[in-house]
Amino acid sequence: MKVEIYNAIMRRQRMTRRSVLRGAAGLGAMAALGGVATGVSVRPAWAADSAALRAQILKIPGVGMGSPTDADWQKVGEMCLGPTRERVAQGEFAGVELTFMGLNNQNLHNFLFRGFLKPWEAYTGARINWIDLAQADYNARLQQSIATGTVDFDILEMGAPFEGDTAGRGLLDEMPGWVSEQIDESDLVGYLQPPVGTWDGKKYRVTIDGDCHTFAYRTDYFGEGAIGGPEVPRTWQQVNAVSKALVGKTDPLTGLPAHGYLDPLKGWGGFGFYFICNRAAAYVKHPDDPAWLFDPDTMKPRVNNPGWVQAIQDVMDLINTPGAYPPDQINADPGTTAFAQFLAGTGSMLMWWGDVGSSARTSDTSVVGDVVGFGINPGSERRYNHAAGAWEETYNEAPVMAYIGWGLYVTKRVSGDARKRKAAWSAAAHLGGRDISLWMSAYPSGFQPYRNSHFNYEEWEAAGYDRAYVEDYLGSNRDSYNHPNAAIEPRIPGIFQYYSVAEDELAKGFAGQYGSAQETADAIAAAWERITDQIGRESQIALYKASLGL
Amino acid sequence: MSGGDHLHVVTGDAIGDRRRAFGLWLVRGAGALVALVAAVQALDAAGVVGLGLGNWRPTLYAWVAFCICLCWGQVILHGEQGKRSLFVLPAALFVVSIVIFPLIFALGIAFSNWNLSSPDGRQFNGLDNLRQMWGDPFYWNALRNMVFYTLAIAVEYAIAFGLALLLNAQIRARKFFRVVFLLPLMLSPVAVSWMIGKSMLEARFGPMARFARWLGWENPSFFGTPEIARATIMVMDAWTYIPLMMIMILAGLQAIPRELNEAAEVDGASAWRRFWEITFPLMLPVSITAILIRIIFKLKLADIIINVTAGGPGGATDSVTSFIFREYRDRSNVGYGTLLAIFYLVLIVVAMTVLIKLAERWMRPRY
Repeated sequence: MKVEIYNAIMRRQRMTRRSVLRGAAGLGAMAALGGVATGVSVRPAWAADSAALRAQILKIPGVGMGSPTDADWQKVGEMCLGPTRERVAQGEFAGVELTFMGLNNQNLHNFLFRGFLKPWEAYTGARINWIDLAQADYNARLQQSIATGTVDFDILEMGAPFEGDTAGRGLLDEMPGWVSEQIDESDLVGYLQPPVGTWDGKKYRVTIDGDCHTFAYRTDYFGEGAIGGPEVPRTWQQVNAVSKALVGKTDPLTGLPAHGYLDPLKGWGGFGFYFICNRAAAYVKHPDDPAWLFDPDTMKPRVNNPGWVQAIQDVMDLINTPGAYPPDQINADPGTTAFAQFLAGTGSMLMWWGDVGSSARTSDTSVVGDVVGFGINPGSERRYNHAAGAWEETYNEAPVMAYIGWGLYVTKRVSGDARKRKAAWSAAAHLGGRDISLWMSAYPSGFQPYRNSHFNYEEWEAAGYDRAYVEDYLGSNRDSYNHPNAAIEPRIPGIFQYYSVAEDELAKGFAGQYGSAQETADAIAAAWERITDQIGRESQIALYKASLGL
Repeated sequence: MSGGDHLHVVTGDAIGDRRRAFGLWLVRGAGALVALVAAVQALDAAGVVGLGLGNWRPTLYAWVAFCICLCWGQVILHGEQGKRSLFVLPAALFVVSIVIFPLIFALGIAFSNWNLSSPDGRQFNGLDNLRQMWGDPFYWNALRNMVFYTLAIAVEYAIAFGLALLLNAQIRARKFFRVVFLLPLMLSPVAVSWMIGKSMLEARFGPMARFARWLGWENPSFFGTPEIARATIMVMDAWTYIPLMMIMILAGLQAIPRELNEAAEVDGASAWRRFWEITFPLMLPVSITAILIRIIFKLKLADIIINVTAGGPGGATDSVTSFIFREYRDRSNVGYGTLLAIFYLVLIVVAMTVLIKLAERWMRPRY
């Protein structure tokens, strides 16, 4: 769980003796139920053991008992060693040394992994050396290692968008079958199932995180008699209509001018492009076609097809509607729209990752408090069928799985040494295990829930969480993750280069330097073509197809 | 050796032929070694010979050995004179190692097609990057912005001069103000970006926006239009660096002999006349130095832009460095990014040389 979300929950639900007792009683009841179930039903014994174990680890350190420490991580790591013990003999990896490269964001990620893997090291005899990187340094370090042939790590924490740069270049080791079994891959939410994590039909990834954009809105703007109308907008057409209709009205909370949807109009190191994707996906992500940014056969950009142009035009329409956006919106990046605007009471609709709702309650600068609701990415009343080259008057929705989430990968460095290879995969599987992942999604870890079993609200409630909040927070994520028409970005080399250059061209378009939305989109397409040619069109086509599982 | 030098020679050097031959052999041998190792490594890297050398460390070690032999050789060959050159030679070799060599490598990269995401790695592409630069509207836009940013130094200079005059005058709490006026220079531009650009100038709740509203500006927006955004960036950068010019000018003002002004005053010259006839001309050398240093700082302007506007709106505030940062870091376009940087370096060197020459010519008639 992201730290902000954890803090939000903690702040929202003050722990009382009664709630602790209720949680404990729930746990006892669950444990008892598990025991009964083994005797009277077909539920296998391991499932009952697992339920009891899950209930136990969720008590470490206990909801509301302060932030977990290294001792807690080690304890959880020790308790979740069962699957490792089944496959690895004690001391089997004695003398093996592995290097693990990951992040140190907010003192999470690698810091947790160290704790979780300490009991694993003690049991298996292996030793792990750590390379800790700040998020800002991560991309440069990884790219330079790849480009200069100096890959000096065996296990790698990496986002799926970089699979093209690594798996696509044959730098990764194929995941052995026993790892899929150990981590119970079938439990992953829909969009994290293959082809994500695979390349040319081979698996490479132990998923440890999920990502998606969800729709956040102000509940006091919508409803009977509210300034935004009785219904929360369901489509981008409605979002734009409401944004225009709100001009001249007053925000019910702050008394300042009311605003509708907050488009970030400034670049954000490539990440800003995800936000125009939210609008465009509703128009262009056709359920019959997994591709929506490029043609898989030619790598010809689709970013200037009528659907994308409509998305850019929608933003331009709001720019050309005085008062639709707050002043200075042209200089607002996504961080500004979420934290300086939405949470500060400016604007009523926003797309963002999972943490804005919780920050609404925890951030000192937030004034929106309890007036935030969630949903999935708005849809569109019509969609553009790229294959047919025509609009279809059919409702379409497509949540964007922005960044796809972190995973663990093993590099080719270990492929020649069977013992080292098994050790590396065993470590990765330990961290990506079914039970340990529940703990990570329930306590501050830097990771979002990403398994179907993470949405078992009873477990959360039994552990002492406020059910209404957890359902609210988890629900929008689950609905986006499991959406049949989820828009998943291409996992090809240099994908953030495409995003970055698109941001530059969009900024020019939004500043009125291009004649139209079509001209802006054409400029992006031309820049993308140049990048494709520079990286190598044929290899990009092959890698894109591989990433789509074609 | 001139006759005067004999005065400073502590020991007489009697360098024999054998010693001289050994010295020559040492230096030439080390030179040949570094050339040989470098050539072998180059052949290995090109795949002509298959030695399997993983990195360029052998060449580095050979180079270090050559540097040591060269220094040693000076003493062997020239005795006492050679020892004197050891005061400079290691530093010169160090500069060559960390400036000249990387620059040569950078030139190699600048004329390559090297996108870190490309599976083909670095490939020489001749003048393609130069051609791309020629047709790159983002780069020329950034260069044009740099002209505006540099011109703003004239205004900064005037303000810095005024402040320096004030601080040089007999005012109350002069020392306190000297320290206070220096504070912006002590702040990191990144801190300035966040404290001022992102917080104080925030369009809705920022104190500057409130103040602007109080003054009657209905919807204050400090980064909303190209002109205002560029001006705001200029003001923030000026606020940070005016103290640098101010402190240099202040030092110059304090060095002007008081008698000159007093004599002029006795002769009945007004304060205005005294400034233009005495203070300003005497301050010219310091002023030129301050302005040249400020131009160098200005040409590197990037951090405030990257943090506050990311070059926007529509590239109106982009500087060359902030553009190269995006091209290099966000797009891993190492070859093209390096060429842009090298071209900019050449531009700066040429422009600064011309400026210094002009400044010299401008000042010469007076002295």
